[in-house]
Amino acid sequence: MSTIAAAPQPAARGELPPRRAFRIWMGFLAVLLAIGAVSGVIVLVRGLGVTGLTDRVPWGLWIALDLSSISLGAGAFILSAIVYLLRVERFRAFARVAVLVGFLGYSSAMLALFLDIGRPDRFWHPVVFWNVHSVLWEVTMCVVLYFTVLAAEMVPVVAESRFVTRRWPGAPKVGHFIHRFTPVLAVIGLALSLLHQSSLGATYGVVAARPLWYKPSLPVMFILSAAGGGIAATLLGTLIVSYLRGKYVINSKVIRQVAIFAGAAMALYLYIKIWDWATTTYYSSIPARAEGLALLINTTPYGTTFWIIEVLLGGLVPTVIFFSRKLRENDWMLMLACLLTIAGVVLLRWNVTISGLVVPQDWSPGVAFLFPRISYTPTLPEIGAFLGIVAYALAGFTLAVRYLPIFTAGTDGH
Amino acid sequence: MSSQRPAQGEQPPRSTDVSRRRFLELLGAAGFTGAVATAITGPLIKAKIAEASRGGGDNSHRWVMVIDLSKCIGCQYCVYACQAVNDVADEMRWNVYLLDKTETGQPFNMTRPCMHCQEPPCADVCPVGATFQRGDGLVVMDYDRCIGCRYCMVACPYDVRRFNWVDRRTEGELNHYQPQYGEPEVQRRPRGVVEKCTFCIQRIDRGLEHGLAPGVDRQATPACVNICPVSARVFGDLNDPESAVTKIIESTPTFRLREELGTEPNVYYIPAEGMVPK
Repeated sequence: MSTIAAAPQPAARGELPPRRAFRIWMGFLAVLLAIGAVSGVIVLVRGLGVTGLTDRVPWGLWIALDLSSISLGAGAFILSAIVYLLRVERFRAFARVAVLVGFLGYSSAMLALFLDIGRPDRFWHPVVFWNVHSVLWEVTMCVVLYFTVLAAEMVPVVAESRFVTRRWPGAPKVGHFIHRFTPVLAVIGLALSLLHQSSLGATYGVVAARPLWYKPSLPVMFILSAAGGGIAATLLGTLIVSYLRGKYVINSKVIRQVAIFAGAAMALYLYIKIWDWATTTYYSSIPARAEGLALLINTTPYGTTFWIIEVLLGGLVPTVIFFSRKLRENDWMLMLACLLTIAGVVLLRWNVTISGLVVPQDWSPGVAFLFPRISYTPTLPEIGAFLGIVAYALAGFTLAVRYLPIFTAGTDGH
Repeated sequence: MSSQRPAQGEQPPRSTDVSRRRFLELLGAAGFTGAVATAITGPLIKAKIAEASRGGGDNSHRWVMVIDLSKCIGCQYCVYACQAVNDVADEMRWNVYLLDKTETGQPFNMTRPCMHCQEPPCADVCPVGATFQRGDGLVVMDYDRCIGCRYCMVACPYDVRRFNWVDRRTEGELNHYQPQYGEPEVQRRPRGVVEKCTFCIQRIDRGLEHGLAPGVDRQATPACVNICPVSARVFGDLNDPESAVTKIIESTPTFRLREELGTEPNVYYIPAEGMVPK
């Protein structure tokens, strides 16, 4: 199977998927986008009172969404590091699709955050008013700067598109000029990504008030799972486009090699995860942590989802597929592995966010745990905005792959 | 691309050398850029840090509250007085009352304002420095700077922070605790920002301007302390050896909430009868 389409294919604008399927798909996304737009307007006009969030659970679905979309956009920094720093030239074919996925992931996160903060009109405050002690400030600055890097890396791609070159024939020159800085941008992007991908875990890890979060392993688990999830998301997009076009848009051999990197990241993640579980629960017992975990396991599906989805289906199974030569040669198995990785990465973020918040804090000086578990259910506007943002990312990917030179390995002169 | 790249297998050591040199060049370039950026932005960062740790209050004072759980009768007047003076809604109470139990099942009344920690986690995590600690130790907010990210609510170990989920200013909600005459002491907070107990800074600051002693003169003392019918709450300056709070803390066994977190709260509790503080 790996011998099929050994040479990289040129960008094939003539071989689009059937027009009808495309229209149905885009129509479906348009409906979701409309739902998202209506929900977004409701949230902006009426405020966060329309969400299911409360003072006890002030972070919810949207935080899980923006953590997830940032982590799934991590393929850009991992793959550009491999291409531009380690100079593994054969992975260069992935550079553009990875940057595209990163761009969409980060812009989705910023959309979600824009709705999520109580004062969207003050979204620029972290850039002007600095609190260098705040891990969230560091995350915000890194995300803003890294998004700028991703946008700069997207410029050559857009400049080379047929839509632009037809109107401004000189545009590719601008693109080439910026492209010369790509290695430097990749270094800056790598530094920024290493910082904030782990700091997103530290956002929870530094909160001493909540024993379920307070541990140094969270930043490590976040960056390793982001590396795996980011590559998986890039790979999944590539495989789906390959399937729709009926041929590999990136050399099939290279696809399998990238899969090994995803497997390595997920294996490391699992290793840390198992030790994290063992040291914090099995081999030790801090009162509030043990009680909180017991409350979670008894009153929520946390225990089941942790073991079945986070560890087994979202961790172990895809790692085995990525590492097994036989399994990863099968495109369907590879797609399944990517999907499962993404599910595991997303569920980790959801579980971390919600588990730490629904367990009440025991500040009373009297008998421990007078407080029952707090519940949180997202409301319709919350879910609507969530769907809209996901649809934005999917529509962005669909349109970019169709109209921009994303899969051009071997044909562009760089 | 392929024309510039040496073919695979041809002179592999040399191609490795080149990529390593290139890598080091890039690292050097990044380091140089970083150094230049630091040189340029260094003063800016210093100014920003100075600005973040800004704000009022004289560090010759250290405001402290003592709450005597053995005296508290659970009337909740402190809760209501706070709502009246600071214009706080029922579902956003800055003071919290709870009927708690001791280890032996003995009920006792527990009330809790903001702890005004000396090491406040909420101020550390705020990405814009909207929550900050004043020189006198009070942890207060700049409501004009808050972006409503709610990280402070997540990080506070004492559940003292309240978010304005709805707009209480335009919906004209009547606060039944607030007098309907005169000027309100504190403005209502806008939708989308977090708010918290301030130990009534408006009273402390105005009082000091007029030469009054917070904790002694009622006009300069937090509302919850003034109203307590059994004097279970005592307020004062721990830096003043003659203040009531200093004398109580020196002579009576007290404890603070969740001391193991290292937040160093400025609210001290006198245990209820038969209570073994955790």
